[in-house]
Amino acid sequence: MDVRRDSASPSWISLVLRDVQFWVPVVVLAAGLLVLRWIS
Amino acid sequence: MNATVAAEETRPASLDAAGDARRLRTLQTVGMICGLTAGAWLGAAEAPTKLVNSGLSPVVVSLAMVVGVFLARWSLPALIQGTSYIAADLRQAPHLIVWAILAGCLWAVANTLTIFAVRDVGLSIAFPLWNSNSLLGILWGILFFGELRGADWRRWAGVIGGALLMFGGATALAIASSAQSASVDALRGVAAALAAGVMWGTMYIPYRKAYLTGMNPLSFITFFTVGELGMMSVLAIAFSGGVAPLVHQLSAARHVLFWLLAGGVVWVVGDLFQQYAVKYAGITRGIPLSNTNQLWGLLWGVLVFGELRGGPHDVLVKVIVGSVVMALGAGVIALSSVSRAEHARWRGAALREGARYGVDAGYTEARAIGREPGTIEYRRTWIDWLVVAAASATLVGFAATAEAPQIAVHWKWATALAIVTLAVLAGCALALWRTTRFS
Repeated sequence: MDVRRDSASPSWISLVLRDVQFWVPVVVLAAGLLVLRWIS
Repeated sequence: MNATVAAEETRPASLDAAGDARRLRTLQTVGMICGLTAGAWLGAAEAPTKLVNSGLSPVVVSLAMVVGVFLARWSLPALIQGTSYIAADLRQAPHLIVWAILAGCLWAVANTLTIFAVRDVGLSIAFPLWNSNSLLGILWGILFFGELRGADWRRWAGVIGGALLMFGGATALAIASSAQSASVDALRGVAAALAAGVMWGTMYIPYRKAYLTGMNPLSFITFFTVGELGMMSVLAIAFSGGVAPLVHQLSAARHVLFWLLAGGVVWVVGDLFQQYAVKYAGITRGIPLSNTNQLWGLLWGVLVFGELRGGPHDVLVKVIVGSVVMALGAGVIALSSVSRAEHARWRGAALREGARYGVDAGYTEARAIGREPGTIEYRRTWIDWLVVAAASATLVGFAATAEAPQIAVHWKWATALAIVTLAVLAGCALALWRTTRFS
């Protein structure tokens, strides 16, 4: 099976950064850290 | 167990070719059994931690457990599939490493928040608030991954109603088993518990994303735990006032660390089955079923550690009612099977994921039905045995210096529950192996 991606296609890191679903956990993580800082 | 991927037994397949109704039903049943097994083992993981009454900082207790989790998360995959299999899996979808580490960070912060929540508002209020994570997980499953889309109203009612029943039962159990500690700072405690629930509920997004893409849960957890241990270490250092104070605390508690590490190892077994439950039954079914861990934790507490003995009548009534309601909710969810129409939505979401990240469609489709995409055999190497030996030696080292627990334990009940828990594990592992070869 060919697992290589097209060399012209964007890197997987840029694909992750452009995925809206990625930012949902990131925002929740940041908010959770803020809550932790506030309560501790 | 044979670590090789038996090529002749794992025929390459697509959902169209092999995705008949019987195969989908079998996978879903296995997923639900995995969810229930996860509940048994996640509940049993509470037992070793009850043996520790050392006055340790809660964050240090959490860190010690995560170290045990880390050891198990690297050694179990090496033992079951081998690191060469894991490496090949990661080459197929390297972007999922980021998602796994992110999920581990979410878990660590959420777990720390629960410690503060219990401190500030007590278990009875805090637990139901963070247990709402399964409801949020269901929401994300519907919004992002097409779960319950195309399902008839009975399945919607079964999943949502079952989750609400479990939520209600969990609330009754938490109230009954709570020490009713006085509220120190209610607002902050409630905020901490809610934030933990939101974080755990959101953590299922990376889970589902990984398994729709086709990643093996054993591969996912090896990087999940990097985020988990990294974030937990940062938090423990921050809350302990630096590295030196943290090391001092850990050193002072070296005689009880084994029990915490053991708790972490048991927890990983439960979590691993939870991952398989999410993969084969989806978030909407797998997570609520694994939340039956509260029932098992209660069984260990009551039968083995004598909790609630001689307690008020109304407390015992709440325990019984809460347990029955929770079990009823789990039963309702287990009966809400995934229809073919809904499964087609799952497949659509999986194909979108694969297309977005350039993952081979054959890999995604084969893994979706619990099969291997190719005929390559992956064998264990010396690296696998080194990982397993190092983890085992670490555990044995801590066990050698461990002190006997200073708490009354009903050993007959402990033995009985351990046998039942092991039997559940054996049955589920056998079903998973026969159906998917731990794919």
